[in-house]
Amino acid sequence: MTFPTLTPTSREFTPGAWPIKSYNSQSGAEVRILYGSQRTNAKLSLSYENVTDANAQLFIDNYAANIGTLRTFTLPSAVRNGWNGSSATLDAPAGTAWRYEGEPQLRSVRPGRSSVTVNLVAVI
Amino acid sequence: MAKVYTGRDGRLLIDGTEQIKVSSWTLTGALEVLETTTLGDSQRSYAPGVQEFNGSATILYYKDDTGRNDAATALKKVLRVAGVSSSDTVTLRLRLVDGNTNSDVELTAYITSVTFGASVGEVSRADISFQGTGALTAVTI
Repeated sequence: MTFPTLTPTSREFTPGAWPIKSYNSQSGAEVRILYGSQRTNAKLSLSYENVTDANAQLFIDNYAANIGTLRTFTLPSAVRNGWNGSSATLDAPAGTAWRYEGEPQLRSVRPGRSSVTVNLVAVI
Repeated sequence: MAKVYTGRDGRLLIDGTEQIKVSSWTLTGALEVLETTTLGDSQRSYAPGVQEFNGSATILYYKDDTGRNDAATALKKVLRVAGVSSSDTVTLRLRLVDGNTNSDVELTAYITSVTFGASVGEVSRADISFQGTGALTAVTI
């Protein structure tokens, strides 16, 4: 099951980081060691405010289809609507894919309308 | 025939009883809207949310020859020894009259505030505010 093709009402992206460890000697010198070549742990928080209940249900269904936080998946371009930069910039870094970081949060606003927040993390 | 409504055409009925000395009433209807604008949109869009009805009225604190005091009906909904229960609603019918034709809005409401007093040189009057609960029960405007 693919991720719902809906445009979010707000989006928050953090690009992740390379696995680097820093060591400080007593002299104050810092040594940094790169343990991997890929940027990981990028995060994407998507909010869908006041969508129909049917659309809100798509996220719960997708969460279930991916067995919660187990499976990884790609995102449709609709997730990046409104972003004029390169689509790759707001996507999972090369070699990684998205998975749910936690459970989607669904808030019923009024009969027939709900708001959903999903938090994703990019992993290898 | 053209008709301009004025205060002379206004009526207020509480629980079906037309109030004798009403000097004013107002009704406000509001619709809460839910924003459905998404990223990339250039214009805001909305979906209808819940409605709300409230208003106010001013009734003279007046006792007629039979001892009837209209203002007391509303005042007693708030000014009371016992607490207010969920059944302490009133049915308000706000009316504008044109001959035999009435333009009505009816709603069930709680009286949410009352103000009345006495001042030298002034008629005692009660200002009441009401908050509708549920849908309007009649609209003929």
